[in-house]
Amino acid sequence: MQVTFKWLKDYVEIDTTPEDLAERITMSGTCVETLEEVAPKVQGIVAGKIDTIEKHPEADKLWVCTVSVGKEKPITIITSATNVFADATVPVAVVGATIANGDTMTEVAFRGITSQGMFCSVEEMGLNTSLFSKEQIEGIYIFDEPLTPGTDIKSYMWGDDHILEVEITANRSDCQSIYGIAKEVSATLDTPICAPKLHPMGEAEGEIQNYLSVEIASKKCSRYHATMFRVKKIEPSPHWMQVRLLNAAVRPINNIVDVTNFVMLETGQPLHAFDYESLKSKKIVVREAGKDETVVTLDNKERALKPDMLMITNGTYPVAVAGIMGGANSEITKETELVLLESACFDKTSVRLTSQRLGLRSESSSRFEKGLYPNLVEQATARATELLLSIGACELIDGYIDVYPEKQQPVSIEVSAQWINDFIGIDISRKEMILYLKRLFIEVQTDPDNEDKMTVYPPDYRQDLEIREDIAEEVARLYGYNNIPNTIMGGTTLVGGKTRDQQLEELLTDVLIGSGYSETLTTSFTNLPHLVDLRLADEKDQVVQLLNPLGEDNSMMRNTLMAHQLEIIQTNYNHKNTRGRFFEIAMTYHHNDDPKGLPIEKERCVISAYDGIDFFGLKGLVERIFASLGIDGVEYKVGETALFHPYRNADIYIKDQCIGTLGEVHPIIVKNHRLPRRTYICELDCEMLYEAAQLEVRYIDLPRYPSSSRDIALVLDEGVPSGDVVKIIESHNNGMIESIDLFDVYVGDQIEKGKKSLAYSIVFRLPERTLTDEDIQGVMDSILKDLNEKLDAKLRD
Amino acid sequence: MHKQLNELRDAFHKSTEEIQTLKDLEAIRVQYLGKKGRLTIALKGMGKLSPEERPTVGKLANVIRGEIEKTIQEKKEWLEEKKIDLEIQNEKLDITLPGRMPERGHRHPLNLVMSDLEKIFIGMGFSIAEGPEIEWSEYNFDHLNMPAEHASRDLQETFYYTEDIVLRTQTSPVQIRVMENNRPPLRIISPGRVYRSDEVDATHSPVFHQMEGLVIDQNITMSDLKGTLSLFAQKLFGDTVKTRFRPHQFYFTEPSAEMDVSCFKCGGTGCRVCGSGWIELLGCGMVHPNVLRHCDIDPNVFSGFAFGMGLERVAMTKYEINDLRLLFENDKRFLEQF
Ligand SMILES: [Zn+2]
Repeated sequence: MQVTFKWLKDYVEIDTTPEDLAERITMSGTCVETLEEVAPKVQGIVAGKIDTIEKHPEADKLWVCTVSVGKEKPITIITSATNVFADATVPVAVVGATIANGDTMTEVAFRGITSQGMFCSVEEMGLNTSLFSKEQIEGIYIFDEPLTPGTDIKSYMWGDDHILEVEITANRSDCQSIYGIAKEVSATLDTPICAPKLHPMGEAEGEIQNYLSVEIASKKCSRYHATMFRVKKIEPSPHWMQVRLLNAAVRPINNIVDVTNFVMLETGQPLHAFDYESLKSKKIVVREAGKDETVVTLDNKERALKPDMLMITNGTYPVAVAGIMGGANSEITKETELVLLESACFDKTSVRLTSQRLGLRSESSSRFEKGLYPNLVEQATARATELLLSIGACELIDGYIDVYPEKQQPVSIEVSAQWINDFIGIDISRKEMILYLKRLFIEVQTDPDNEDKMTVYPPDYRQDLEIREDIAEEVARLYGYNNIPNTIMGGTTLVGGKTRDQQLEELLTDVLIGSGYSETLTTSFTNLPHLVDLRLADEKDQVVQLLNPLGEDNSMMRNTLMAHQLEIIQTNYNHKNTRGRFFEIAMTYHHNDDPKGLPIEKERCVISAYDGIDFFGLKGLVERIFASLGIDGVEYKVGETALFHPYRNADIYIKDQCIGTLGEVHPIIVKNHRLPRRTYICELDCEMLYEAAQLEVRYIDLPRYPSSSRDIALVLDEGVPSGDVVKIIESHNNGMIESIDLFDVYVGDQIEKGKKSLAYSIVFRLPERTLTDEDIQGVMDSILKDLNEKLDAKLRD
Repeated sequence: MHKQLNELRDAFHKSTEEIQTLKDLEAIRVQYLGKKGRLTIALKGMGKLSPEERPTVGKLANVIRGEIEKTIQEKKEWLEEKKIDLEIQNEKLDITLPGRMPERGHRHPLNLVMSDLEKIFIGMGFSIAEGPEIEWSEYNFDHLNMPAEHASRDLQETFYYTEDIVLRTQTSPVQIRVMENNRPPLRIISPGRVYRSDEVDATHSPVFHQMEGLVIDQNITMSDLKGTLSLFAQKLFGDTVKTRFRPHQFYFTEPSAEMDVSCFKCGGTGCRVCGSGWIELLGCGMVHPNVLRHCDIDPNVFSGFAFGMGLERVAMTKYEINDLRLLFENDKRFLEQF
């Protein structure tokens, strides 16, 4: 909401600077987002009357003007503008003046004649060109009325004002007006307020009944108030009103429309003026749109209406979209003789939804959307009537029509002063509280027999005040939030902290960071075709699809973290970053077969890497994770994740449960997505990981007896996995085998084709005695026999 | 015999003077002390001496043997050290060359901020509560006292999965779940991911992060809210930071406020980061009695406060990141700055 300092001063005494005012109302709840002086650079532009105008003797396209600017002698201005003429009053930037872009005028010679300044356009005066007509912004601005030469233009056009951009919270629809904010200013500064002058509306009965009847045929309109005027003259509104409108970023149009806009800005109540004759009927019916109805709005666009949109009709067809915009068919024109002024209260949700669906927003709709109160309707009419009459635009046709089916009921709230003190944490008297509330026009009744109780009556425009907490807030904000002491909570002391899973997540993060992997952050959205393309999903998969995504690319909640990780690698590879090492712990989202349940969310950890890494580099990291979380008994089996190279991937199992997968990205996907040739990814299920974690450590005695080790080199078929060999060796562990380590893999000329050699070092130890050669030989013999029988393994010679 | 021994001693000392290598020294040792060495041989001749002469000659011989051994040992050490001295001449390093740092990963700035905040609140006795990101619209709106027709429920504002299920627009539904399932006293924070239907630009993202907090107990006042959150601000930005509270409006709380902190870059005089000297940090207020009542907590017995802040904003302010999109782009050169 845009408010000007001087306009506020019309209603409330302000004994301080705009800056201090902005600060103080911000701290009392009316947040000033920006405060700016109007046209801060403009200075020294004055009104000039063109006395003479002649062609420049030496230049075809230049004119030499003598201009009175309120000094002893007229000055000479050279111009190329074609719209100026003798006797025109124009803005003149004299020598020393500064125009909107910051340029300061000096004398300039044009082919032998010196120009002592320049004429200004709307833009050069620092005015918003969107608020003026095309003719007005092209060329030099020409004033409608003759001004005394030398009049300061900044003061004339702008009123030397300051503009405050104010944030209005959703509950304070009453502050969507200059007067509403003026009341907040008055409460904050504790200075008197002066209400805008209203026309006494008198009796409803009158001549108007000969012209009009009004019917409300929808619950979405709670009040409709109509008055009528006989036009005296349609002309530009008075200059003071135009300055107010311009500073509020509203374009002046004519005296009647300007009054409706002025009153809307001033009181917050949108008004609409119809050309009575072009209504072509004697009635107004407020109803919801019928099927296939259309209306051409004031912006000359045809709008197709939906059945529940609220319309103002002439009984037959729409003449306005209620609360949003008038129809072109009933617009005020220069020929208008009779004006019908509408002041009405429409349902906020209806206005919001209609405005949204039509893609049509206006100053009016944005006010109705926040919710207005029906009592404002008649105040706005009385104010508009006062202005229309006082500026000489119209005569009032006696009487008015007011359809107001359900009157707004006054509210009262019981509240205890002690409770307010206890709740806020202050200690002030009931008397002081009452003073604060009165500044806000909140009436308070006290019971002489009860020192504590207050019965509070908020004014009709404060629909946000309903319960005692609301009253506590009003007291607190006028007392000053920052005067409330800061205290440390009493009551029960709580320990706080992280749960086991939260601690494990922290540990997992630490392990990954410590291993050189950097944490990433990605959104939760993806799309099924993309996952299908990455071979991470099937078109028929049940996934979490949003009803209203931001574009098809973001239509699905991801069920894997791997796709985003590939995008990160792509980005970094594309930016020529080397050694990518990334991870992210985040949620994935899965379809729930139970239709009554929420989708299933799983915490997962994804790890990705390229450049200077191979399959075993990533597998080693995964092993590091398991070791850090105290998890053993992990198995790796070749998996079927189609994203991966078929021979370079593994599904990871803990106790026969698959907790994740890791692998090298398939070369075809690498090619199609321009990924680094060797890209590795792993995804783990965090919940399973945390469940398997075993962090309790118990010390085991250091060995007292020496160990013995035996190295064996086996020759096997190339396809036999080392894991199978280790499993067989492990199956012979009768308590003597301490460790089994693979130390060499060999394929080559030294052995038969199709075979490979695996060499293991097996360490034996017993806690209670030194092992003998016989002990070890027995185990070794059975291991070798078993390996030979099951895997056709032979000792390498 | 004495004379012979003294000559041998002189000859030994003379020959060792010129020795430059360990090899030569060893040759000398063998020459005097070896099995066929001069001293060994000389001592073998002792048998021919008279019993009177034997002790004195024997004594002298032992002295000389000791002397030779000691000299050889000393000479040996000197030569070894000399050798090392020579060797290290070839081991000069340019110590201004860079070291080899062990590789280390980097935390994402958003999560750095999140864990900073978590630590502070855990220190004040808070626990961390979590809840679903895809949530019943009832929990996301109704139980939070949001009016039935409020604009934030529109399809333009909120992502819907079904008519009744939304992507949560705030982490407050977690607070409802906690209040429904636990009795006061409660002190929780709920950090997490939230969603709003905003197009991506330098300050908006449809996915962002919040941290909200909730305290419910007997006799919790608005001055407790101010005290707790001011203390939090001091722990986050340093003891000298000042706070101010401005009245505001949220459906979940009444009274409501926004808390600003004095700019930690300029100290409150106004700069590029803050503009006015104040930085808006969080929204807060006393929990609305309707919210308590819904969770079956009697507002006449218990009261509490809640607060919430956007983590992207905190991270961007703290690290002077000027475009939110950088947080989600994950360029390594960005990530490695934190
Ligand atoms: Zn600053």
